[in-house]
Amino acid sequence: MAQRRVPTISDLRIKLCYICREEERYDTPEDPPRAWTHPCKCTLVAHESCLLQWIQTSQQNRSRAPNALKCPQCSSVYELESDNPLILRILDAANKGLSTMGKIVTIASVTVVVVSLGTGMYILSTAYGAYALKEFLGAEMYDLLLTEDPTNWPWHCYLNLPLIPFALIISRLPFNSSVTPLVPLLLAWPTSTPPRTDERIVLNRWGVQEPIQREMFPLLPSWPPPPVLLGLFIYPSLRITYNRIFSQFSRWVLDTQPDATDTAHRMMLAFEDDDPFLRIRINANGERNAQRQPDGQGQQDRGAGVANNGANNNINGDGEAIAGDVAAAAENTIRVSGTSLGRLIGGALIIPRISSFMGSLLYRLSKYSPLLRRFLAVRPPLPPDVRPSLVGTWIDEEMWRQLSPVKRLSVAGLMGLSVAWRGTPVWAECDPVWWRNSLGLGLFTVAKDCLHLLHLWLAKRELQSRRVKNKSFEGVDVRELDLIDPVTHTGH
Amino acid sequence: MTSISSRRLRKELSEIQTEGCPTGITLLNADNFETWYFSIEILGESLYQGEVFKLMFRFDSSYPISAPAVQFVVNQESTAPVHPHVYSNGHICASILGTEWSPVLSVSAVCVTLQSMLASCKSKERPVDNDRYVRYAPDNPKKTRFHYDDDTV
Repeated sequence: MAQRRVPTISDLRIKLCYICREEERYDTPEDPPRAWTHPCKCTLVAHESCLLQWIQTSQQNRSRAPNALKCPQCSSVYELESDNPLILRILDAANKGLSTMGKIVTIASVTVVVVSLGTGMYILSTAYGAYALKEFLGAEMYDLLLTEDPTNWPWHCYLNLPLIPFALIISRLPFNSSVTPLVPLLLAWPTSTPPRTDERIVLNRWGVQEPIQREMFPLLPSWPPPPVLLGLFIYPSLRITYNRIFSQFSRWVLDTQPDATDTAHRMMLAFEDDDPFLRIRINANGERNAQRQPDGQGQQDRGAGVANNGANNNINGDGEAIAGDVAAAAENTIRVSGTSLGRLIGGALIIPRISSFMGSLLYRLSKYSPLLRRFLAVRPPLPPDVRPSLVGTWIDEEMWRQLSPVKRLSVAGLMGLSVAWRGTPVWAECDPVWWRNSLGLGLFTVAKDCLHLLHLWLAKRELQSRRVKNKSFEGVDVRELDLIDPVTHTGH
Repeated sequence: MTSISSRRLRKELSEIQTEGCPTGITLLNADNFETWYFSIEILGESLYQGEVFKLMFRFDSSYPISAPAVQFVVNQESTAPVHPHVYSNGHICASILGTEWSPVLSVSAVCVTLQSMLASCKSKERPVDNDRYVRYAPDNPKKTRFHYDDDTV
């Protein structure tokens, strides 16, 4: 049985090159002969030279290269045979490897840039945070809690400190933010273990009985208020109350109606404007003012009003926008103050310094007033060799070991609560610089708000008292004027 | 010696002349082997009922290894069809004219493909970046690197 031979390219009667469309009949071969090829699984055939040219051209084009070795009809892959010595293959592979390396280097360098920028930011923020804390707590407590040597710092410093500048800036953004500048300073640190003692604070502080506690808080058992309480409750509620009262006060001073627009709207206004600090709007329909000063000349156009929306005033005062009759006066905004961003950030970052300055001012004043001294709970600095050393270990390691697991749990829980509430003994026994600094900052805020209000009030008065200066017709030809009594003026 | 491109074009031209163009397509002008013109219309149900467009093919010496430059003619008498892949200057964003070009395709095959691209159109609108593209477009659409994001045409 004769086996059927599978036909090849040379068995075709007519060969038609799918690239150049030339054909060749089997009985009239071309002269000189050109090689034909059937490279795929379908019926397409081509001159080998045409196909090689196509493949070569396609491979040079990046977007076409994936299709270069594919049959356009059956998509089978062309197989190429060539003199491909080892050295060429090695060079090709090396070239490919180098391009991959190049990509990696590109990515790596971008990463390095981003990371180093980020690290720079981080180091800067941390350094600032440490500075802010030192200003706020005073050198003595700072030395106990942190020390100048970063290697002593507890781990949470590296989260806490860099957040401080951002918290300060956020607290000054012109919306009712719940972040007060003191929160980052007050909340984390009272529970922080001083780096200089190796013993765990829970073991040292707990089991303290009443009389001892009184001894540890020589003045008033809970004065100054525990820092956590101050940061979480007293400060925010005081702030809200203060804002209410102050906004009413400013409305009374500036004689304006409560602002009807909702908070969201005001917030938007404050953001749309590149200067959210101090704005005065001329009231386009100044009827109220017109009635109040009926002295005759063209009142309606001149009435000026200043409105205050102090309700969203925050503790540091000037994050507010002064929006009057918003709808009517939008175009008539007068910018009073300078540019915003620098002022915002600068104002935020200087808070610790101001707070420390005001605190030391209070401290100096307290030298003349025992009452103030008591109120500020001023304590003498600790002697150099004494740490608020958490001595009086009422539960030492040994006792702890003797306790049953349940008892241990309850003791530990109570200890935790106490530390969270009171702060560590460092907070109880050191001179509470942080307390007078907080008070000082509060006083500063009030003073600044009052100054701001005075500024507004004076600006408003200036607007209301404006007159256009009246001048005679000196230098004008009197004949051009239609006068009631021309005779009196002709003999000039 | 005649180049591969002109020999192949001569063959394609004689095929068109003997067998005729596909329906809806008419050869307007093929005086040389550089620029050919066709008229194209969509027969049957389509959004382009009754509209006739003019296609221009430009060949370079490496045709059919390189694709022809194909675009709709935009002048006083004729416009480009309003289609999501056709810019108002007549340039066409179709992969077979770029990365998917293959020498197995021919002038009449391109015509038929474009015809079906128009026939399958669902809504008559310009490409989203039409204005930006037309402002900076090169004269020859082959110099544009189109991004083919829609394989349905």
